[in-house]
Amino acid sequence: MSWLARLAAGAPAPVYPVIGEGAQPRVERLFASAALERAQSPRAAALLLVSGNIPEAHREALDRVHDQVPRPRLGLHWEGDDGIEERLLDAWRTLCAGATGDADRLPDEPPNPWEGEGDFGQGGEGMMGGVPYGRPMAMTGEDVRDGLELDRYTARVGPFAPMLPPGLVLEVTLQGDVIVACDVLSPPYPQPEDADDPALCAARMLRLLGLPGPADRLIRGGAAHAIGARRAIPRGLGRLENAGDARMRFADALRGRNGGAADGIFDTLIGLEWSEAALALASVTPSALRQAALEVA
Amino acid sequence: MATLLVIAFWTAASVALALALSRLQNRTSAPQAAPFLGGGTPDTHAWQRYHFRAYTMTLLFIAFEMEMMFMYPWAVVFVSEGLKAMAEMGMFLTILAVGILYGWREGVFRWE
Repeated sequence: MSWLARLAAGAPAPVYPVIGEGAQPRVERLFASAALERAQSPRAAALLLVSGNIPEAHREALDRVHDQVPRPRLGLHWEGDDGIEERLLDAWRTLCAGATGDADRLPDEPPNPWEGEGDFGQGGEGMMGGVPYGRPMAMTGEDVRDGLELDRYTARVGPFAPMLPPGLVLEVTLQGDVIVACDVLSPPYPQPEDADDPALCAARMLRLLGLPGPADRLIRGGAAHAIGARRAIPRGLGRLENAGDARMRFADALRGRNGGAADGIFDTLIGLEWSEAALALASVTPSALRQAALEVA
Repeated sequence: MATLLVIAFWTAASVALALALSRLQNRTSAPQAAPFLGGGTPDTHAWQRYHFRAYTMTLLFIAFEMEMMFMYPWAVVFVSEGLKAMAEMGMFLTILAVGILYGWREGVFRWE
């Protein structure tokens, strides 16, 4: 083991968590530890932590996320037993020592293979008519703000997106980063009551606001000390009947109070920017969000 | 000749370094080349045309920039002309201020 690898092994282990059914609170508490770094994307991780039950329908998504962790990588399963932090750190040291890690799960083939047709190999005619790599270009549609004809980007996000609750799959259509259409394809996974803990709810929002330090402090039972975090949440964001807006729900969570139902939260997402939508979804408790998603899914 | 040799040397050195680095690095697999959507998949390519809505910013830019453009030569003339030049500048700024007020009403100062 070279001195460089030894130095790397001493750094916090970069872990991308894949959270399944019933595992959200324990994973969130685990990452309050300074020895672990919660990676924001698989690309930034070396370890993949799979915790809780993953439904069969989401196996392929799990495999995709697994393969998106760059090699060498290691995947670990955690069912809530003790000593997970040590297991993760051991795995990280093993990788730093030069282990080859896990193999790919999906075939190393482009999902849409190169067509090799058209003037530029774009697989079709004209500038926008082609399907480069078998995938079409974005086509125009009316913008929700002023009716300009602009390109629309449709994608399914989740079930393991770091900015969305675990299990939630949204089919969103974006213009720029403004959401113009949004459908719930799969509701968030059921989580234990513990996931509605106001400290965890506030910590999720703080993390989305780019304040992981205060979020970790809150989870460890201390005060957030996040000056101005409340004002960073736009006023009126995700406003619901009888439950106020996201800013109010955040303030309530900091005071140790939980919000009520989240009916209609998905209707408030249209016209929001992507970052605001993630914040609005995180502002309600996981149980209320699951209930609201089950009603519209 | 010496210059050419230096250029050839550095070109060869940078190509060799690039090749060495590309061999060192792991090859990106197909799933890694796809956009990360938390396990989801996109319908279309991410390359898309969007409007960054510059028109309100342009209005503001013209209002302030025209003001400054006129003020530099005016500062020279002001020394000899005195109060008359002052009154002229006042009229000019008033007209521009109408543009700024219009922009304000249109929400130019609100970031969207």
